[in-house]
Amino acid sequence: MSVKEHKFNLGSLLSPAKILVEKESVTKTALIKKLIDAVCQGEPKLDGADILAQVLKREEGISTTLDTGLSIPHARLEEITDFKAALAVLPSPVQDPVNPNLSIKAMFLFLSPAKPVFFQKHLQILSSLAETFKPEFIDELIALGEPAQIFARLEGQR
Amino acid sequence: MSSSSSSSQSPLRVKKVVVITTAMLTFIPFWKAAAIVLCDFGSSAFYAGGIAMRAFGPAFPWYILAVMLFAGLLLMLELEACSLFVRGGAYKIVREGLGDRMAKLAASALVFDFLLTGPISAVTAGHYLGGLVNSFLTQFGASFHLPEGGFAVVFGLLVTGYFWRQNVKGIEESSSKSAKIIAFSLAVCFLLAIWSFITIALQGAHIPPTQLDFAPGALGWAGKIDWMKAVGLLGMMMAFGHSILALSGIETLSQVYREIEYPKAQNLKKAALLIFIFALLFTGGLTFLSAVIIPPDLIASKYGDNLLSGLAMSMAGPGLLKLLMQTLVVVAGVVMLSGAVNTSLIGSNALMNRIAEDGILTDWFRKIHRKYGTTYHVIHLIAALQAVIIIVSGGNVYLLGEAYAFGVMWCFVLEAAAIIALRLKRRGEKRDFLFPLNIRYENFYIPVGLGLLSLFLLSIAVVNLFTKSIATVAGISFTVFLYAVFTLSERLNAKKANTMFEEGYRERVNAQTALDLKDALDDLSQPNRVLVAVKTPEHLYHLEETLRTVNPDDTDVIVLYSKPVENLLYRQDMRSAAVDEHELFTQVIFLAEKYGLPITPVMVQSNDAFYAIAQVAAVADAKEIIMGVSGLHGAQTQMERIVMAWGAVKERELKHPVKVRILWEGREISYGFTN
Repeated sequence: MSVKEHKFNLGSLLSPAKILVEKESVTKTALIKKLIDAVCQGEPKLDGADILAQVLKREEGISTTLDTGLSIPHARLEEITDFKAALAVLPSPVQDPVNPNLSIKAMFLFLSPAKPVFFQKHLQILSSLAETFKPEFIDELIALGEPAQIFARLEGQR
Repeated sequence: MSSSSSSSQSPLRVKKVVVITTAMLTFIPFWKAAAIVLCDFGSSAFYAGGIAMRAFGPAFPWYILAVMLFAGLLLMLELEACSLFVRGGAYKIVREGLGDRMAKLAASALVFDFLLTGPISAVTAGHYLGGLVNSFLTQFGASFHLPEGGFAVVFGLLVTGYFWRQNVKGIEESSSKSAKIIAFSLAVCFLLAIWSFITIALQGAHIPPTQLDFAPGALGWAGKIDWMKAVGLLGMMMAFGHSILALSGIETLSQVYREIEYPKAQNLKKAALLIFIFALLFTGGLTFLSAVIIPPDLIASKYGDNLLSGLAMSMAGPGLLKLLMQTLVVVAGVVMLSGAVNTSLIGSNALMNRIAEDGILTDWFRKIHRKYGTTYHVIHLIAALQAVIIIVSGGNVYLLGEAYAFGVMWCFVLEAAAIIALRLKRRGEKRDFLFPLNIRYENFYIPVGLGLLSLFLLSIAVVNLFTKSIATVAGISFTVFLYAVFTLSERLNAKKANTMFEEGYRERVNAQTALDLKDALDDLSQPNRVLVAVKTPEHLYHLEETLRTVNPDDTDVIVLYSKPVENLLYRQDMRSAAVDEHELFTQVIFLAEKYGLPITPVMVQSNDAFYAIAQVAAVADAKEIIMGVSGLHGAQTQMERIVMAWGAVKERELKHPVKVRILWEGREISYGFTN
């Protein structure tokens, strides 16, 4: 018996303004910083530098880069009460600094509320991201080239 | 999901799959375990009565019966010893409870008895066979007879030689064969009993006397000590001491304990009960019937070395039928006694190996056979000493019996004392079985019953020191010699700072490379699968918790070790995090044995343990993934990575929800995957 599907809608976390198509050559840390800036836009209560520090601290733990070409830097923050995210697609892949054999072609940064009650949803988002962003799908997003089209495609994943 | 991932060339995916197999992951039901013990313990029925008769006269069946009832108490002692789950039997128990010196003494004494059980069993088998041949010769009017002593020596050497070869080759004891032998012996016992009752009904019976009539040699030095009169309670203790050899082989229970299937504790109790009933009826019952039916002078003159053949030949009925009955008795006797020869070699080799693991023996003893992987020097040594004992005995079973029981008695004395000490040392520890008669004081059970048993064992052992002079001289000489060898070897090892001995016990395992994950997991047969990921031998709480709660009737347990290779991940070279898989799987197998549950151990080489776990769980169609917590990263970070890895390797819809659990002492976090 197959289990009923109830995949998380990733589009609900994003807007075209929070999607970057990064054509320039960039380091992983610089890309994370750009995505944090995108998340913090219009959110005066968020401290970008503090978030960057927390995300980079998490990156020092178990790697968040997958062999599918997706990197999912993330952090759980006390100061937020809902999930926030930003996406970058990279026509020119970035080499993962920890494992040079892995190339990053898409980076999905997301921030979760630190309260334990949100942890299950936090895991669900990680799982959905890893499952959705397979190599073919990432290539498709890169080919779309425009944030609005990428957003529409993600919305269509629902 | 499938194993043939589109990303199979990915640096994170499984590189190599290794299936770990070991004989120790095959568990047996309680009745097969009982059969293995009885093949050794039950075999004393063939010689204990005859030896006791020669030592203290026609009262012997009462004492053999008493010893068999006493065996019930010793089986309970073994139950408590086994419930401590200290792998390595009495030697390790004594080491835990009383320390190294006492353990070395216990081991030395036990090796002495192993050296004797082989010859006594092999020579007795020779007597039974020689007696049968002579019965046939008499039946058919032949004018010559086999010299039974000489024949017994030759046969004993042949049997010992055969099992020496088998042990060098490393051929394991078959529990199925043991069960067949015991079933056959039980049928023979039943026939003998029925025919005995018919004979008693036809010819009448003489109830054996209770008064003791010690042979001069059977009193040993006690005969020269005024106050040591063989009367009253002291006389009874002397007779009991001469009958104690009927317990030969009872210690085998602690060797087969590790093989008993789930639920281990209950099955162990059932096995002990079965052993007790069988031994009481077979050894106690048949010895008693022999004394009732065979005239005492005939036992003394003709059937002292093959009492049960005497029982068969003393039945009421036609000669040919009696000869057929004797044949059945001899077949049962020869196979059981030969099995006991094998067990003595296996037991002494296992004991010497346990001692070697503690750094007490030099490299020479641990040398592994190139082809068979056995510790062949120890086996050669034990078999050679047994062969010398057989030749020196000249086939005299009584002489061998008089030398026997020194080791087993003192070993039981030390084991009982060690268990009392462990009651104190591990007083908060829950045990599946406690020797009866305890007074509870807070979380400590004052071992009144064990104390009384220890006193009784000590009394018999001390009395035997005086009465069984051959056993005392030979036993003390050998024990002191072996203790000196152990001590000297230990010092030599310490000087060499031989790190090999610091490794401890290693399970013998076979590691075979599988074609792929599907091939490695081909033997899974249960509808449910649980994958338990292991990382270090010190952190297996989650595996133990799984084994404690899993239902083995519908669930396969896969134990996975992902060995790090090649690349740099997580900002460190993961190769440095790799543990010795041999040591890890030894501990895993130890836990599987503890709960008597079969597991499927698999090792994969991978740069990312979480990918490996997800891949194996997917291929195995596991319903649960269970991990221990990492001290380095923490449970939440681990959970994040496993859900990411799962998503990355997932290629098709799930047939059922999959739950990931990370367990540590009293705590758990979990996450459920659906589609």
